[in-house]
Amino acid sequence: MQAAVLRGTQNGYDLVLKQSASLDQILADLRSLLENLNVDPTAMETPKVSLDVLTEDRILTADEKSQIEQLVGNYPRFEIHKIAANVMTIDDAIQLRERENVHLLSKVIRNGQEVAMQGDVLFLGTIHEGGKLRTTGNIFCMGDVSGILQAGYPDDESKLIMGNLVTAQQVRIAEQFDIIEPDQVADSSQTIAYVNDLHVLSYGKLSALKKINPKLYNRIGGI
Amino acid sequence: MGKAIVITSGKGGVGKTTTSANIGTALALMGKRVCLMDLDIGLRNLDVVLGLDNRIIYDIVDVAEGRAKLPQALVKDKRFDDKLYLLPAAQNTDKTALQPDQVKEIVDELKPEYDYVLIDCPAGIEQGFMNAVAGADAAIVVTTPEISAVRDADRVVGLLEQHPLTEAPRLLINRIRLNMMQDGSMMDIDEITHHLGIELLGIIVDDDAVISTSNQGEPIVMQTENQASQGYRNVARRLEGQTVPLMKLEPQEEDGFWHKVSSWFHRG
Ligand SMILES: Nc1ncnc2c1ncn2[C@@H]1O[C@H](COP(=O)(O)OP(=O)(O)OP(=O)(O)O)[C@@H](O)[C@H]1O
Ligand SMILES: [Mg+2]
Repeated sequence: MQAAVLRGTQNGYDLVLKQSASLDQILADLRSLLENLNVDPTAMETPKVSLDVLTEDRILTADEKSQIEQLVGNYPRFEIHKIAANVMTIDDAIQLRERENVHLLSKVIRNGQEVAMQGDVLFLGTIHEGGKLRTTGNIFCMGDVSGILQAGYPDDESKLIMGNLVTAQQVRIAEQFDIIEPDQVADSSQTIAYVNDLHVLSYGKLSALKKINPKLYNRIGGI
Repeated sequence: MGKAIVITSGKGGVGKTTTSANIGTALALMGKRVCLMDLDIGLRNLDVVLGLDNRIIYDIVDVAEGRAKLPQALVKDKRFDDKLYLLPAAQNTDKTALQPDQVKEIVDELKPEYDYVLIDCPAGIEQGFMNAVAGADAAIVVTTPEISAVRDADRVVGLLEQHPLTEAPRLLINRIRLNMMQDGSMMDIDEITHHLGIELLGIIVDDDAVISTSNQGEPIVMQTENQASQGYRNVARRLEGQTVPLMKLEPQEEDGFWHKVSSWFHRG
């Protein structure tokens, strides 16, 4: 059985590295495969070949990846588009889950403290002046905020912040920020802060969510 | 085994040293054995407030670096029999002269000998703060009713929550001016306590006599009739586990006729 198999697909070529084979075997088979194709210019239709390397249920280490990349690099006709597996590490899976879930957070974030989260956050605590809550996702805020809220960290402008922002010091989404002046936002728990098409931080009402962020609106069941 | 309590604030000049001296003295007056530790290296004050500055031979850095044994460096306050001692800060070294584990070692050596070890923390949240909290079992966070002081207290409470001591920190609000609280130009006691979300240990009024007594090296608690003194005595009793209701603040008619008359008799 070949440990490295080339398959044509609609968008190019998959290079499948068999999970049951050892890395040495894969490297050896891959070398002879590339060698053969290299000497036979008619074997492939395009002059430049981009490969999707698929490792089945095996996760390559950084070192193993670079061995593969080096080998392919010896044949200028080929280049690696991506290396992908069917599986992920538990760490990555936890990260993914963190990003996709809504997290409940109820604590006091004091002056000088910064709480960094992943994914959407339902905040039930208190943020004192000088305290900061930031997350990669949206923030739904039911607590008292006298500090700083940041959604879409570091650069996702599609995220939003919902809740009463009238007492907040600053509101940030991705890289946009606003220093909240008195009377700038309504004293209402139905306020939504979002980044508009012109990349400007803006404020709207919960009732306008469908217009502001249709994607989120659809995800949470609105029609 | 005694208890080590750090007196801290974040912001400078809010009354940590005054509080350390007065609570320490009040506890000694109650018959407790107290050791006061000055950790404000380079800017020592506690000795002056206690009137012990001329008796210092060795200091805490001498002890940490082995130039003196701990008992040699302790300065006894003769007014209180065998009850009150001071371990002075070093004056001519900088804050980096001490490490947290050295401080902890000294505190641990003192605790079996005393009922209370009170640690006067320097302002700020850097090394000096870390040193001061290293050996402590409990903390008193001092603030004044000013927003900047309360913000810094909030910062310090946050740090104490991240590295918890055996006991949760308690709050002391110093330099209260009743008239300013009443007309709303200062945060009031409930507001501050509620905001910081920690237990209130006591309140101390602002009183010129605190400054003048400090200047004379005689902590205000040694006067019985004074409101600030009463505040510190109440704090000491609460530390001892007694239930003492919060002092009712009465406006003091400083300029009243009788006040003037009585002050003539109190002179000298
Ligand atoms: N209740 C009070 N009424 C009037 N004056 C006070 C009171 N408490 C403290 N003071 C005065 O405030 C000044 C600062 O107090 P103190 O030295 O105790 O503060 P500190 O927090 O130790 O300062 P540092 O941060 O510099 O160590 C002193 O002059 C002191 O006498
Ligand atoms: Mg001081």
